[in-house]
Order: sequence, then structure tokens, then C-alpha cells
Amino acid sequence: MHTEKTQKRAAVAISGFLFTICLCSLLFLLLPSGKPAAYIADIYQDGNLIMSIPLEDIPESRSFTVESAGGGTNRIEIRSGSIGILSADCPDKLCVKQGFIKDSRLPITCLPNKLVIRLRPAPDSSGEPQEPDIITY
Amino acid sequence: MSTKKLTLLAMFATISLAIYAAESAIPPLVPLPGVKLGLANVVTLILLRHFSLRDAAIVLSARIGLSALLFGQALSLLYSLAGGVLSLLVMALVMKLLCKRMVFLTGAMGGLAHNMAQLITALAVTSTPGVLAYLPFLTLSGVLTGAFTGFCAQAAGRYLMPHLPPKT
Repeated sequence: MHTEKTQKRAAVAISGFLFTICLCSLLFLLLPSGKPAAYIADIYQDGNLIMSIPLEDIPESRSFTVESAGGGTNRIEIRSGSIGILSADCPDKLCVKQGFIKDSRLPITCLPNKLVIRLRPAPDSSGEPQEPDIITY
Repeated sequence: MSTKKLTLLAMFATISLAIYAAESAIPPLVPLPGVKLGLANVVTLILLRHFSLRDAAIVLSARIGLSALLFGQALSLLYSLAGGVLSLLVMALVMKLLCKRMVFLTGAMGGLAHNMAQLITALAVTSTPGVLAYLPFLTLSGVLTGAFTGFCAQAAGRYLMPHLPPKT
């Protein structure tokens, strides 16, 4: 009923179809979904909120120095989507070693200067607070 | 239907049910509903390849009915039925197009059809569009496991058929 040719053509068509949908599924699974969440950086000194900086729409990174009541200083740099401490006068420099943070999982802490930088998700356009990044039990 | 044929189909239904039971005893490798090997489909493929669509349909419906009676709930019958019927029709069509060659392609199309039918059933039953998030997983798993069962059916058929009684 079917010639060799139509059979070969059907095989090629089916293989092509299967390959295409598998590729589409793989791409869909591997590509990151949605745009990264926007965050607001809250900088606390001695437990008090001293600065809140939205980390969206920062065309070029800038840095500034925060001085603590005890005279210690931390140089903070803000980049688009991340924040970190460039240098500090504390002995261990742990805050510098924590690098730049991009999400709310771990705050940057400088114990000697009592400085904490924490990211919180920015409220989206509807004003609703966004979902947490991660929940652990 | 001759007694010989009836016995043969009953045997195939038993094999298929046994494979199905053995497979559900294996803990799932991927923690997603609907992702499984579907080894019982090997029997359906062998019947489609070496017997007829009618015989395959009889054995498949016997297997689905019995498995729902023995292991399942009423709802799982609906899923099995949707997946089984659509995959059987698609496999019969593809098998005919390919002149019974390249059974792994038939299996892959069958696996895909099975998973799509189950996804659509889930969509209808739960009426939550959220289940569509499983679409890429189910597509991939349907094609891969289907191709695997296709290979199994081809190999099994090659060794099984010479041992069956001639033309029943």
C-alpha cells in the first residue's frame, strides 16, 4: 500500500516532529523564567534603618562610606541588582569577604561596626509584596 | 474468536497486567506525576506490530479495566483510559505509516500521545491551568520512555514471535 518512499518520508517527518518538540521542551525548561526580582537594600546601623536603596535602574555603580558611632568605616558599593562592601577598617574584613549579594537569602553583616545590609523584595507594580525567595522548615 | 486466539490474548493481557504491577512497585525516579516508563505498552506495541489493532484494543482495555479494579481508584481509570485510547490510535496510525518498521518511533509517538491525553484529562478534571506547567516534562518523558518501550517491543517481538503457534 505504501511505497518505500512514502514510508521514508513519514519516518523523517515523525523524527523531525519529535526532535522539535523535545528541543522546545528542553529550551523551555533550561531557560530562566521571568525577569529577576527587584530588591531594595536596607542598611541597618546598630539596629536602626539608616538607608533604603532600590537596586533597580542603577545605570552605573556608585559607592559611599558609612561611619559607625565608634568611628569604624565601611565603604559600600551599589551596583545594578547587587550590593556589597568594598573595604572596611575592621580587623577581620569578614563583611568584605561576603562579597556582593543579589537576593534576600543572606544579609551582609559587619559585627565590629554593627552594620547589616539586608535585601528585601521590592513591592511590584500592584503594590503587593512579592513572594519570598525561599522557605525552609 | 477461536479458543486459541482467546487464550493467546488472555495470556498477553496477563503479561501486560504483570508488567504494570511490577512497574508500579518500582519507586518513581522523577518525583512528578505521570512520569514513568510505561513498560506495559510493550505488549500493546507487540500486538499492534504482529497482530491487529482490534487485538491490541482488546488486550489494552482488559489491562486497563483489571488494573483499575485491582490497584487503582475510580479517577485513575479515567486517566489510564484517556492515555490508553489516544496512544493506541496514534500508534496504530504511525505503525501503518511506517509499514511496521522503526518501532521506537511508533513508541515515542505513543508515549507522547499518552502523556498529552493524561495532561488534558488532568486539565479537565482539576480545571486549573497550572497543570500545564508539566507540559515540557511530560513531552520529554513521553518521547524518551516511549522510544525505550519501542526498542523493548522490537527486541521482545523478535524473540517471542517464533515461539507462538502459527497464525491463529
